[in-house]
Amino acid sequence: MNHLRAAFLRPACRAPWLAPTLPTATSFGQAHRNLHHFARGTWRAPAHSLRREFPSARRTSWRNASTDSGPSSSSSTPPPRGSRPQFKTRQELYAARNRSLLMYTTAVIVFGIGVTYAAVPLYRMFCAATGFAGTPKVGMGKFEADRLVPVEDAKRIKVHFNADTSDALPWSFVPQQKFVSVLPGETSLAFYRAKNNSDKDIIGIATYNVTPDRIAPYFAKVECFCFEEQKLLAGEEVDMPLLFFIDKDVLDDPSCRNLDDIVLSYTFFRARRNAQGHLEPDASDEVVQASQGFAGIEMAPRVEDRKKEDNSTSS
Amino acid sequence: MSFGRPPSISVGFSPAPPDRGSFPLDHYGECKQYMQAYLDCLRKNGSNSTPCRHLNKDYLECRMNRGLMERDDWKNLGLNGVGENSVAKDNPKDRPNAQ
Repeated sequence: MNHLRAAFLRPACRAPWLAPTLPTATSFGQAHRNLHHFARGTWRAPAHSLRREFPSARRTSWRNASTDSGPSSSSSTPPPRGSRPQFKTRQELYAARNRSLLMYTTAVIVFGIGVTYAAVPLYRMFCAATGFAGTPKVGMGKFEADRLVPVEDAKRIKVHFNADTSDALPWSFVPQQKFVSVLPGETSLAFYRAKNNSDKDIIGIATYNVTPDRIAPYFAKVECFCFEEQKLLAGEEVDMPLLFFIDKDVLDDPSCRNLDDIVLSYTFFRARRNAQGHLEPDASDEVVQASQGFAGIEMAPRVEDRKKEDNSTSS
Repeated sequence: MSFGRPPSISVGFSPAPPDRGSFPLDHYGECKQYMQAYLDCLRKNGSNSTPCRHLNKDYLECRMNRGLMERDDWKNLGLNGVGENSVAKDNPKDRPNAQ
């Protein structure tokens, strides 16, 4: 039995309370008895101090254990306090179990928090990869290459062109073709001609509008000349191209079934700088909204005007 | 556009910007003859766009060569497979393939 005790005293990385699970223990009862002997050998200090400095006592117990000549010290002394060492051992046992339980619980909590944080991007990645739950595949959206293929046997839609200028702009602005007959999904070019009739360089900015409203979600422009400043030198005449298409989803829309003609209307305004330094049409808000087809609509989209008290901003 | 917004403005109301922005102005009229060719073709074909698509390609090619447009694949501009010959009638070769 002494050699078994020595086996318990030697290993440095194993807790005394785990001694029953050591492979060298022949039986649980035997190991339990050995545990008590071991405990007897280490807990030489009085009980109350042990309880106070519990962790350090455990560490010193290891030191004592490794340096002790175990068999000789604990062989002859009877258990100093009958059931007390057992109690302390059980406390240690419970403490150890509690500590490992705490570690496991903390790990589970940390893992749970981590998964919560990671769940959102992970779910997004999963949805983007598989298109699950209707997530749109984001490439270029409606300008993806396979959307720009004409639907061969569909009904042709006539796109009429209209051009306007504001009164403050001395330009002549006309479309170069009256209309173009296109298939859904087919990209097509259209041209406008603008001539600066004044003797000054003028920056113009164009807005556009598509009529009727129900075709507007399907009318897409790949490249045009609207919403950005276009500077024309005095007396200059330029041709302005426009690359557009009608999305083939228009064929699935029941409200667009009898649609044969649509009107694309451009309006050129003189440009001025607003409070944020951006160029905007130099006309009253109602006129600009009317050119975009929002005439008479109260809830029409408007640029947010943060400096209402400052009169120099757009009206 | 943003989740949870009250449904007051639909897609049809908000003007969508063009995908590639704005064409730079052709101040010197470098691609004017291509434009003229396209417009003549349109007039000949009753403003039917399909037979004149190869001229679209010529015009955009002209723009790209002169730095008036960013060079891009034809399939991104929807002109994939459009033939280069100048046949005005509806020719099967003119029709772009469905990729």
